[in-house]
Amino acid sequence: MISQARIAAAGLFVLMAWPGAASQALAQTPARQPAPPGAQVYFHYPVDGLSVPERFTVRIGLRGMGVAPAGVDHARTGHHHLLIDTEPGPPDQPIPSDYNHIHLGNGQTEVVVTLPKGRHTLQLLLGDYTHTPHNPPVMSPKITINVR
Amino acid sequence: MLRLAPALLLLGLAVAMPLAGASAQERARQRSPAPATARLSFVGLADKAQVPARLTVRFAITGMEVVPAGQPRRNGGHHHLLIDTELPPLDQPIPSDFNHIHFGGGQTEAEIALTPGKHTLQLLFADHNHVPHDPPIMSERITVEVPATPAEKPRSAAAPGARVFFIDLQDGATIPSHAKIRFGAEGITVTPAGTASPNGGHHHLLVDTELPALDREIPSDFNHLHFGRGQTEAELSLPPGEHTLQLLMGDHEHVPHDPPVMSPRIRVHVVADGRPAAAATPSPSHIHGAGLARTAAPNDAAVYFIYPRDGDRIYPTSTIRFGLRNMGVAPAGVAKPNTGHHHLLVDTETPSFDAPIPSDLNHIHLGGGQTEYKLTLPNGRHTLQLLLADENHVPHDPPIISERITVIVAPGGPHARRRR
Repeated sequence: MISQARIAAAGLFVLMAWPGAASQALAQTPARQPAPPGAQVYFHYPVDGLSVPERFTVRIGLRGMGVAPAGVDHARTGHHHLLIDTEPGPPDQPIPSDYNHIHLGNGQTEVVVTLPKGRHTLQLLLGDYTHTPHNPPVMSPKITINVR
Repeated sequence: MLRLAPALLLLGLAVAMPLAGASAQERARQRSPAPATARLSFVGLADKAQVPARLTVRFAITGMEVVPAGQPRRNGGHHHLLIDTELPPLDQPIPSDFNHIHFGGGQTEAEIALTPGKHTLQLLFADHNHVPHDPPIMSERITVEVPATPAEKPRSAAAPGARVFFIDLQDGATIPSHAKIRFGAEGITVTPAGTASPNGGHHHLLVDTELPALDREIPSDFNHLHFGRGQTEAELSLPPGEHTLQLLMGDHEHVPHDPPVMSPRIRVHVVADGRPAAAATPSPSHIHGAGLARTAAPNDAAVYFIYPRDGDRIYPTSTIRFGLRNMGVAPAGVAKPNTGHHHLLVDTETPSFDAPIPSDLNHIHLGGGQTEYKLTLPNGRHTLQLLLADENHVPHDPPIISERITVIVAPGGPHARRRR
């Protein structure tokens, strides 16, 4: 059963937490987390050059590191970002959040995306608990897919 | 059919009031902007469609991103399904009741149950505070019709002596308005709905209602709660007062067995538990020690092997890759809703779901949030199974478990000669 109480309480929590989080993010540029040597993020699906339907699931693999939700400061972990039709930004800045940069902030390892027909590029970039890429960045090669 | 609904609705509104009051002071009703190009629609569901009483509704959003409720993000939000209701005020959080269903976990589909007759459905997207965007992103309102009188179905046989019962709950008991109810079964196996198995079934909890017709599908509404994933407990919210509870087993098609497997109908007295809304949030999974409470998991979550597949021949040292649908990964020790960490069970039976997963060579913990593992096995046949667990290594409820696959380890791996 859905507990209305829980939803209401969650909403309340967010109201209180948001202004604090915003000011904190502005206050400092966090130091970048080191990435273990050999860490690698890659696509299970799709692979470079594949033709896919308009709605498909991107499955993400990660070698040599673990996944943790955003906000969880834990060594050798990060959370996935899927970059669609865009270049990665400066590696010392938090990854922007818009519809070219899909954040998987709850530790998801797959995401369903819907893209218009045509050619698109996809790239994976791991971010630490502050959404900042690791040092060196853990990033997949950029792949091109054809949405049919 | 919907006798409970008004009472629960009131409960929901009463709880929502303090939220509305608080948000007024924090100007939280500001609406998040949305791109004019964003579109929200139902997938494969047309206006005036005839639908079954239980159907899966899928949502498609373009131009925006689905993020779980509570995470503020530009051009992000989560789905709400409005059933049989007008649009709510667009500068307020969307109400949370049985006519306004929230998908705060970022779900993009839902199984809903409708009574026979005409119903309206509409989707409305909302931001992290459940407030619709500006301009509002919504689908058109469609009307669907559920045909009357479900057809009679053949009944599955049940073993004589099979019974279901409430655990630690007697007739006449007094329970709080948020209570965990546990179901026991004897002489019959609990199997998920949709899986036909001899002498198996899943629980239904009948709340404040008489027995339904035993020769057809058990209705699905607020008085007939289905536990189609094979759950053996439920968290129940009831308004204070007298209520009746009864368990009834249904087979893979939700039809009671022959003879029916059901508990006596018991009366319970529900008293307000006096907990403020905020106190209800701390997850019960923080109680350590004996009787660890299990963390709830979304019904549509699943864990599976990306590599290898059942029956594959693999190298002695192989990287096992895990997939997880509709949940996230978090390292052990991190308490976050809808997350967990993987466990790889090698050549072993499925452990108990009520206790932490053992830690030994057969139960490999991926407590760092890993989503793959390099495994070395001796040649021969081995079984592998994945089981997700919460921050205390206790499986979720319902358990998020993969099927147990068999792999053949051979020096040549997939290229080894096949004995066929």
